[in-house]
Amino acid sequence: MALFELQNVSKHFGGLQVVNDLSFTVEKNEIVSLIGPNGAGKTTILNLITGLYKSDAGKIVFDGHSLSGMEVHQITRLGIARTFQNLRLFLNMSIIENVMSAAYARTHANWFQIIARTPGFWKEEQRIRQLAEQKLAFFGERLVGYRYDQPAYSLSYANRRRLEIARAMMTEPKLLLLDEPAAGMNPKETQEVTQLIGQLRNELDLTIILIEHDMGVVGGISDRVIALDHGEKIAEGSYEAVATDPLVIEAYLGRNENVGRK
Amino acid sequence: MSRDKIGVDQWVEQYDQRVSRAKGIQGFIEQTSRRLPVWGWLICLVVLGALLPVATTNSFAIRIAGNIALMGILALGLNVVAGYAGLLDLGFIAFYGIGAYVYAYLSSDFTGIHFPTWATLIIIVVVSTLFGLLLGSPSLRLIGDYLAIVTLGFGQMFVQLTTSLTRVDLPGRDKPVDLTGGPNGIVNLDPLSIFGLKATTVVHYYLILLIVFAISILIIYHLYKSRVGRAWRALREDELAAQAMGMPNHRLKLQAFAIGAAFAGFSGGLFAAWQGSVFPSNFDTTLLITVYAIIVLGGLGSLPGVVLGAVIMIAVPDILRNAPLAGTLFYIGVIVTLFSVIKPRWQAIVLIVAIAIFGFILRAVLVGANPDAFTTLKPVGALISDTVRSWLPIPNNAMVVGNYGFAILIILVLAVSRIKRPLWRLAALVPTLYLLLFVWETRLVAEPSITRLLFVGVLLIVLMIYRPNGLLGQRRVEIA
Repeated sequence: MALFELQNVSKHFGGLQVVNDLSFTVEKNEIVSLIGPNGAGKTTILNLITGLYKSDAGKIVFDGHSLSGMEVHQITRLGIARTFQNLRLFLNMSIIENVMSAAYARTHANWFQIIARTPGFWKEEQRIRQLAEQKLAFFGERLVGYRYDQPAYSLSYANRRRLEIARAMMTEPKLLLLDEPAAGMNPKETQEVTQLIGQLRNELDLTIILIEHDMGVVGGISDRVIALDHGEKIAEGSYEAVATDPLVIEAYLGRNENVGRK
Repeated sequence: MSRDKIGVDQWVEQYDQRVSRAKGIQGFIEQTSRRLPVWGWLICLVVLGALLPVATTNSFAIRIAGNIALMGILALGLNVVAGYAGLLDLGFIAFYGIGAYVYAYLSSDFTGIHFPTWATLIIIVVVSTLFGLLLGSPSLRLIGDYLAIVTLGFGQMFVQLTTSLTRVDLPGRDKPVDLTGGPNGIVNLDPLSIFGLKATTVVHYYLILLIVFAISILIIYHLYKSRVGRAWRALREDELAAQAMGMPNHRLKLQAFAIGAAFAGFSGGLFAAWQGSVFPSNFDTTLLITVYAIIVLGGLGSLPGVVLGAVIMIAVPDILRNAPLAGTLFYIGVIVTLFSVIKPRWQAIVLIVAIAIFGFILRAVLVGANPDAFTTLKPVGALISDTVRSWLPIPNNAMVVGNYGFAILIILVLAVSRIKRPLWRLAALVPTLYLLLFVWETRLVAEPSITRLLFVGVLLIVLMIYRPNGLLGQRRVEIA
């Protein structure tokens, strides 16, 4: 059975049908890219999966659980983590705290332990501190050492994206949803991110759904690509197949009126 | 606590050496204060605080200090709700009132119940926490302004109910029952009694409050540096992202609300015991504003800020009642402000000299023209104040002129703030500051009750301009 499945999901805002009867599955350990022009409904799908929006119709199944009616944090607990297209870090908290805070659901120190600072509290605190440092070390030397205690707002745009990925990793997800992880990065950094996504999948046994406009990233890493337009799936398959699909080209570039006349 | 040095390269390792350190005594203090753990600070606070009753027997000073500690405990609770969790709770004082009234019910002849202090205090914490949960669970679904409105209503409701529940028909009673004592409150409460020792003097209460304050800071600090504290702050920063990272937003907010209510209730109980009585008017909006001013002044979410904020907001208005002390502090404050705001420094000196000369000339002209219209003020017994008083031309109807002077002063201040050119502004400051001194001596120092409100207002306005994050607040950015 597939790890994740979207079954005939629809969502509209007022009169606008954003996602229309969409179905797809994601197998374990797969990297699936969602592509499509702006407004195709890609981010809406992530918001539906993580519970920020409630779908009008259809069913979302993850790891044997139906996600309908669950709260956002419950869905995260099941093992789905995400990053945000427009960066939602805890800007006034330190870098290490940003990451450590995401371990909330997996930590259990109670009020008494916290206030009395019992050995159990320290053990847990140390454990998640080390875990957080490990997650940050994933990005080489950019987010480690003296950086731990700097506020998140002091980071550059690219590092903020990295920190968001580290924070999402801290929830120990099985399925990671990345919303434009390479946006705002230069070509070299984009290449790095591409590599990193592959590494996450291979080393940590993750399943990844990726939204990305940079076709270099999409082509370089996806096992499968799903192209969307107006909330509907217009093509699905390998990158090469989707990228040359006439419907996809039309969605991005529009129909070439002159072709018919000649 | 040893840590794995993951990914620490040479550049990172040498970070400590590259940071410049101050030398000598200043460096020593910096180093020590950085290494001192929180309980170290708290022991310093308690020891220094405990020296006060040794140093002075002035019960007025000790009462102020006790009040600082009491308001500090209250502000610590609000700091959790508003500073950490970012909830604008305007009904906070009601929990303080609930704590105080529970104390009154359980230790007075009003109900005829006299519980031991420890039992009363435990019940207070439980009851105020329950009320916190009761108010919190429906209203915390509201966001921002709506939460503020609902909680404000709750705070008002508390005052209204305690004032008016004097004739309530209860089932099983023939006559209406007085539940709260109305505006006359509940009086003759039992004093605090710990291990059989009764707290009777101001010094006793001061020491109890000081210790409770220190312990409260420690508890709140421990919460701050824990999974719960991190989650609260994450919620404040970005509720949606916090949820998406697995934090149960509603439950966490409720916990913050309940913790705040518990601290408020506890401090309310101590207040009732200290005052020996409770009245509805003890819990009005003025107190709410004071407590909010404490945490905003100190820096929202900052623990040292709460201590500093409480000292300033409680001590200064009380000091204003003492004319010689108030005068000295006022002039020191003006001079310090001038030297810290006006750069380069020599301009500040020039300004002060210019004001002095301006004053002499004005005095010579005015008194020379009509000597009968001027008089002298009684000396107050403080060097600077008396010097200024003999230098100012004081008209016979000083009060009336002072009122006009005050109105003109406000206009002048507004005008000065609009002047862009530095030298023009400096020149315009001469008559403005002169008028300020005049108004201070003729009007403000004579009426501390008004002056303290003005002081709070001016302080907050100046703070908003120069340090929008409070005195000890960390830098906060709100950009997305």
